[in-house]
Amino acid sequence: MSSSDPKTLKDRQFVDEALRCLPEVARYALSLARRESDADDLVQETFLRAYTAWPSYEVGTECRGWLFTICRNVFLRSRKHDQRQVACEDAELESLAAAALHASATQSGLGDLFTRIDLAPALERALLDLPETFRDVVTLVDIQDESYAVASEVLEVPVGTIRSRLFRGRRLLQKSLLEYARDAGLARTAGDSFDPEVTT
Amino acid sequence: MKLRLTLPWKHAPLDCEAVMRQLWDYLDNELTPERMEAIREHLAMCARCYPQFDFEREFLANLSRLRLEHSNPKMLRERVVAALQRSGFGEADI
Repeated sequence: MSSSDPKTLKDRQFVDEALRCLPEVARYALSLARRESDADDLVQETFLRAYTAWPSYEVGTECRGWLFTICRNVFLRSRKHDQRQVACEDAELESLAAAALHASATQSGLGDLFTRIDLAPALERALLDLPETFRDVVTLVDIQDESYAVASEVLEVPVGTIRSRLFRGRRLLQKSLLEYARDAGLARTAGDSFDPEVTT
Repeated sequence: MKLRLTLPWKHAPLDCEAVMRQLWDYLDNELTPERMEAIREHLAMCARCYPQFDFEREFLANLSRLRLEHSNPKMLRERVVAALQRSGFGEADI
């Protein structure tokens, strides 16, 4: 078969554009599945679907984001969807709520919590408990280090929605960590609520 | 606490609430260069906002450490390519 054969050309393009992104897709799959064996299945299925759908892909466009979208869809289909409804629209109010949370943490002697102890196990748990809507964005932006624009493309929602979900997700994670620290006896005062209301 | 500065600003100084509203955008490097600079200048001089900035920065550092790397990327690639070949892929030089 010659190198100009359509099938060969298609495979060549798939190698150059899609397979080139395999390390990033693997990292994203690991962020979603959190277990390597599950992530491997996810990566394999992502590339099989991408190869099947390759004729509809416009060569030269944002392949990585396209693969992330496929990966996420495969992941969601592989598990029961989280049906919890969430309401969150104002990113800046979330930012102010985070400030109130910090003040509350400081009052409880937990202002330095994030540098004081190894929070990785508690953070892993808190992330898994987070409603899917927020976990998706936190995974892409905070763990995968993607921009708001890329997250917007992958999750197919406007950048403003990415911001509000991201900020709410972060605040919920912080609240979980502070409660974990308080329950572990690390706070100066017991029984404080880490659920500040913010009004403007 | 309000900032009372007599320095010649290149742009209007921000108050604490404005900084708090955009602190996460700042940490995510998602603001215009001018806004990034204004917030950086505010944080450098504000004893009220800096601890919050530090708190959020450390929180995000903890989160980013959850990022996992595959233990054997070469083997994963071989597995993916083998699966693709079973689906008809394989004429290209890979």
